[in-house]
Amino acid sequence: MTAVESVSALGRWGRERVEGLGRSGRFVGDTLVATRDVRTWWPEATLHARALGVKSLPIALYIAVFTGIVLSLLASYSFTGAVPLYFVGTLVEKTITMELAPVLTGLALAGRVGANIAAELGTMKVTEQVDALETLAFDPFAYLVVPRVLAGTVMFPIVVGLSMVVGVAAGWVASILLLDISSEEFVKGLRLFFTTFDVRYGLVKSASFGTAVTWIGCMQGLSARGGAQGVGQAATSAVVYSAVVILVLDALWAVLWLLGSHP
Amino acid sequence: MKRTNDFSVGLTIIIGSFVIIAATLWVKQVDFGRERAAVTARFRDVGGAKVGTPVVVRGVRAGKIESMELSDSGFVLARMSLESSVGLPVDAIVLLNESSLFGEWQATITTRDAVGNDTEVIRQLAEAAGRPDVLPGATLPDIARLTAVAGRIAGDVASVAERVQVAFDEQAARELRGSLRNFAELSTVLAQTVREQSNNLTTVSSDVRGGVQSLLRSAELLRAVSERVDSSTSRGEVRRIVDDAAEAARQLRETGRRLLAISEQLGRSQDKLESFLANSDSVARKLNSGTGSLGMMINDPSLYRNADSVMRQLKVLLDDVQKNPRRYINLRIF
Repeated sequence: MTAVESVSALGRWGRERVEGLGRSGRFVGDTLVATRDVRTWWPEATLHARALGVKSLPIALYIAVFTGIVLSLLASYSFTGAVPLYFVGTLVEKTITMELAPVLTGLALAGRVGANIAAELGTMKVTEQVDALETLAFDPFAYLVVPRVLAGTVMFPIVVGLSMVVGVAAGWVASILLLDISSEEFVKGLRLFFTTFDVRYGLVKSASFGTAVTWIGCMQGLSARGGAQGVGQAATSAVVYSAVVILVLDALWAVLWLLGSHP
Repeated sequence: MKRTNDFSVGLTIIIGSFVIIAATLWVKQVDFGRERAAVTARFRDVGGAKVGTPVVVRGVRAGKIESMELSDSGFVLARMSLESSVGLPVDAIVLLNESSLFGEWQATITTRDAVGNDTEVIRQLAEAAGRPDVLPGATLPDIARLTAVAGRIAGDVASVAERVQVAFDEQAARELRGSLRNFAELSTVLAQTVREQSNNLTTVSSDVRGGVQSLLRSAELLRAVSERVDSSTSRGEVRRIVDDAAEAARQLRETGRRLLAISEQLGRSQDKLESFLANSDSVARKLNSGTGSLGMMINDPSLYRNADSVMRQLKVLLDDVQKNPRRYINLRIF
């Protein structure tokens, strides 16, 4: 490899990295611009809200139930000894509300919703349906991306909120049935350090997860190339990137809101 | 289809929102439209208490702290809402304290009697008192403060231990081992001594036992005597004895007075005697020195010899007078 080729390879590598960031930034910008075209995305919003939110409820609540049960058992196992058992309620409430319900639900929906969006839009892309929309004077961002991102942003907190309630309730029932904790003790621990900040923190975090998952799914789908293989690759990338971004956002919110604060 | 989507999504949003809000309100124990009594307390410091901290009356949760604000006089005003049926005790105070070791705080409404002799709490209450519509409050030390004190003590102990470690070198260990050996020997000797002394103590104790028995007998006798004294006092003999003693004392006083007079006379006689003796001594000195007629007569042997010669001559003369009275006696009648 000559020196010129080496320098060119380095430049290509740098360009690809920057190109990815630029493409992402341009995608976000196009999406924001497309939100002005309300008449295009509004009729599609409830369709996607149902597909992304309502139909995701069973898997989200299923995860929440088992999370609550396992968490109460884990807390009871950990607190054996000096810590009073009513702290099981405290730990279940804090952990599910602030962390497990948003993150586990987000990861589950990243697989379900992110892959679904990426596969759907990727198929449309490789079959030139997106080009057809543009030919028909439809803005693909207003018609395909905005309703999905808005549906994800609105419905994720609803799904996660219900997961919080179901998860804590499952932990409560498990504590009564499986552990030597009375209902009053669990509720005492539940109320002990509860603040509305816990719920707000979880819901805001889940909304950001919904935005990220749907946006990554849309971007990966509309970036699909080739045939079915490209669609599969886009779906896989959407899930992987969504999971990574969810964890990054989780840490970011913790740093922004929890670091140094005493609710 | 679109209408179905709209309905299901709308229903999900409504149900989800309602469930989340209702659950939050239930956990926060928010009650709408329920009559509550408001009580305000004043503290110098509220410790770890915060808005929402439960308020306890006679051990039962009766409300919570609704708000806290800094007042301009260096105090913290805490407004509490209580169930309207809860009656506050007379001379009520509010104590903020930790309800467990895990950072839970509570506000306890109680009376001043519950404070006891805790001077710090009494001082805080005295500072916070003064406003008729505000209860005085005090904050009890939290576990962190107590553990901080314990931590300082532990630090001191660690410092002492470190110094001991520095001072306890190899030589000190050898000396300590030697001291321990000496102590073991000493303890052996001490044990032997104790055994011997225990035998002595046995003997002594038996003697003491005998002495105690003697004392018991003496006490018995004393008791008998006291009984007799008691019986005699009951018959009026003591009064008689006391009267006799008084008479004896009176006579003794009279005798003393007389003795005093005699001693005064004796004193005077002594003076005279001393004067007489002084004169006699003067006479004797004169006799010894041979001064005066008598001294010269006593100290001059010639006088004795003359006197003896005179006596012999007088005897001869008497014999001669007896033999020849006519020679010497010439009796004439007319």
